Amino acid sequence: MSDELTRRDAIRLAAAATLAASVDGPDALAAQAGTAARPAATTFFTRAELALVDELSEMIIPTDDHSPGARAAKVAGYIDARLAEAFEETDRTNWRQGLKLIEDLSKQAGGRSFLESSPEQRLALLQRIAGPETKPEKAEELFFVELKSRVVDAYYTSEIGIKQELEYRGNTFQAEFSGIDVSQER
Amino acid sequence: MSLLRIIQSPAQPQADLKRVYDAIVIGSGAAGGMAAHVLTSQGMKVLMLEAGKKLDIDKELKSMEWPFQHPRRGGMPPDHHALTLNEYTIRQPPYAAGLKHSKVFSYVQGWSGPDYSKNIVVNEKDHPYTGTNYAWVRARCLGGKTNIWGRLALRLSDYDFKAKSHDGYGEDWPISYKDIAPYYDRVDEYLGISGVKENLPYLPDSIFQRPTRLNAAEVTLRNSLKTMGRVLTPYRAGVTTEGLKHNKYRSRCFGRGACARRTGGCDIHAVFDSPTGLIYPAMDTGNLTLRTNAIAREVLVDRTSGKARGVAFIDAENGRSYEALATVVVVAASTLESARLLLLSKSPTHPNGIGNSSGHVGHNFCEHVMGPSVTGLVKDRIGQPRTNDDGRPGGFYVPRFRNLSERHPNFIRAYGFEGGSGTTMFPGNAHDTPGFGAAYKKNVRDHAGAFISMGGFGEVLSRYENQVALDPVMKDRWGIPVLRFNYRFGDNEKKMCQDMAETAQEMFERAGFEIVSIDRTVLTEGWSIHELGTARMGTDRKSSVLNQFQQSHDVGNLFVVDGSSHVSASCQNPTWTIMALAWRSCDYLVSEFRKGNL
Repeated sequence: MSDELTRRDAIRLAAAATLAASVDGPDALAAQAGTAARPAATTFFTRAELALVDELSEMIIPTDDHSPGARAAKVAGYIDARLAEAFEETDRTNWRQGLKLIEDLSKQAGGRSFLESSPEQRLALLQRIAGPETKPEKAEELFFVELKSRVVDAYYTSEIGIKQELEYRGNTFQAEFSGIDVSQER
Repeated sequence: MSLLRIIQSPAQPQADLKRVYDAIVIGSGAAGGMAAHVLTSQGMKVLMLEAGKKLDIDKELKSMEWPFQHPRRGGMPPDHHALTLNEYTIRQPPYAAGLKHSKVFSYVQGWSGPDYSKNIVVNEKDHPYTGTNYAWVRARCLGGKTNIWGRLALRLSDYDFKAKSHDGYGEDWPISYKDIAPYYDRVDEYLGISGVKENLPYLPDSIFQRPTRLNAAEVTLRNSLKTMGRVLTPYRAGVTTEGLKHNKYRSRCFGRGACARRTGGCDIHAVFDSPTGLIYPAMDTGNLTLRTNAIAREVLVDRTSGKARGVAFIDAENGRSYEALATVVVVAASTLESARLLLLSKSPTHPNGIGNSSGHVGHNFCEHVMGPSVTGLVKDRIGQPRTNDDGRPGGFYVPRFRNLSERHPNFIRAYGFEGGSGTTMFPGNAHDTPGFGAAYKKNVRDHAGAFISMGGFGEVLSRYENQVALDPVMKDRWGIPVLRFNYRFGDNEKKMCQDMAETAQEMFERAGFEIVSIDRTVLTEGWSIHELGTARMGTDRKSSVLNQFQQSHDVGNLFVVDGSSHVSASCQNPTWTIMALAWRSCDYLVSEFRKGNL
């Protein structure tokens, strides 16, 4: 046992610390929801897994000139809360295996974990598993489809996704419908 | 907000089980609600039995709650499950058997925001059925399926009522359009309907309130269809867009769009629902007593006269049996539940079930087939500024165009399309857009709102062999025999569906839309939630169950006023016709009651 942290551990902890500030668990989600009931289960991901999902989600839907991305929308925390209470154990198993697979592929490709890899290496890995998105076959390709599906659902139902990214204008009282009144034709 | 009025529903008087009511109405949906309205407004004392609870519906629906204000973004608790198309295909009823979830619901609970409708629809575990594949959607609560209905409010025409005279198949209805037209007018004015006059003989106009509007892509399609002699009209919605001075329970529509984002429902009741549209006003007359949690078990028969004398029911909560008495019994439990109740009501005078001397109860079961649909991309909408397209109760409707003057070589009868385009709260293209990263995000953003799609609803022919019967073994949670389905689409439906997909593609191409996808899948029987015809009307008592006033041929004081009375399905959505027919029949019932003929 050593008191010294390895470089790898230091990066991992730093990443986790950043996440602790940026990603809320289900408690915060329930608090956001106001009077809504708090989900029974709490969290599922380890800190390292949460950090990995946070990074993957931001790579899928990044912050750009138009609006904040998946990290700001707390997508990883939302996915974690849903998995924690998921009815089917296989949902959790698939995610744990999928995330491990990404770590394994990262180490095979560059010798480092995903979060320790360079941005170029991370992008190359994600492109590799996202490539056959419409016809996924390998386990990592199937996991990408699941990962993206959950990220998409969580992001576009978030306040950032609806109001900032899509500039959604509905869910409001309107005196008149918008559009063209064809009863006035002829 | 001052626009949201909190109006309490009227207090419920206790049901008096020693008294003989003028009428008992079984069911509180579109048909039962209308029966209660027509009978009580003319002074009859009515007891309404509803199998489910009275929900505090506005607390259920929360129409304007954002997804991010809900812990599961509108999703149900994890131990609740909505059946999928795959399950309806590979499994056999009872679909909930063997599933570990605490609650199992029909497929409509797989739509967005199901947590808001989970107490309206039934738990399939308590309500099994057997036989052939069928996606049976049921709502057991005050108002039934009108709490979440799709709002498309269409009239039938003599192309439907006299379809046999037109093509030789099946039976004509015992009424013509002119018999029901004044009652369609009354339904329009009492409940409110939005739409645009088109002067079509095969889709008669209603008395419309303020119409919804079309967006640019929908107008493009409308203009293109005109050159083909076809019509696209704004969704004819059973929604009051101008308000109803005579109804304090309902607000006019304010274009909030919740109806399109959820399974359905409207917490300001601009959309018609039976409780606020019909039942609460009926209670305000002082003539309506409501008994909820009352599962009708049997129509009771007087042994000497053979007439109906009341209804035996089971309390859904305490499981005890009760009897309620009346001069007239009006069955309005929904097409399939009404057939079940008639079949359950066996007695020495009615050994095959009450009103079933013809043997036709449960038979001639018909509905609408759906599935084929098309999605197109409207290129000049890509990257355009956001518009508010979903703040309306529906998109558009393309009425039937087949078998009007010409005869299609492959099938009889017709189909229409429901569709829409433009921005929605959740970008439907996000899951189908490939890739990831900034380019993906921009692609989704630019294309959201640039799609248009529509899907067909076709007439399923009424066939004697398509039927429901009582299962000899299986019972529901309350020990009541369940229905066994023997119902399948036939050759005409399959050929019609092929044509639906082809014409949908052709119409989108002609309008200049880029075809994104064409779906040719025929969805499981039942998917349209438009089941009809299990106790049909007719002039011949050997081949029909009811006369033109929905009165039993066999039992003069028994009426069945819901969709089970329909002789054929047509391809237009049935709710407005159910209510117009019930109004007409109940007017007749009141006059016969006053004459002492019942």
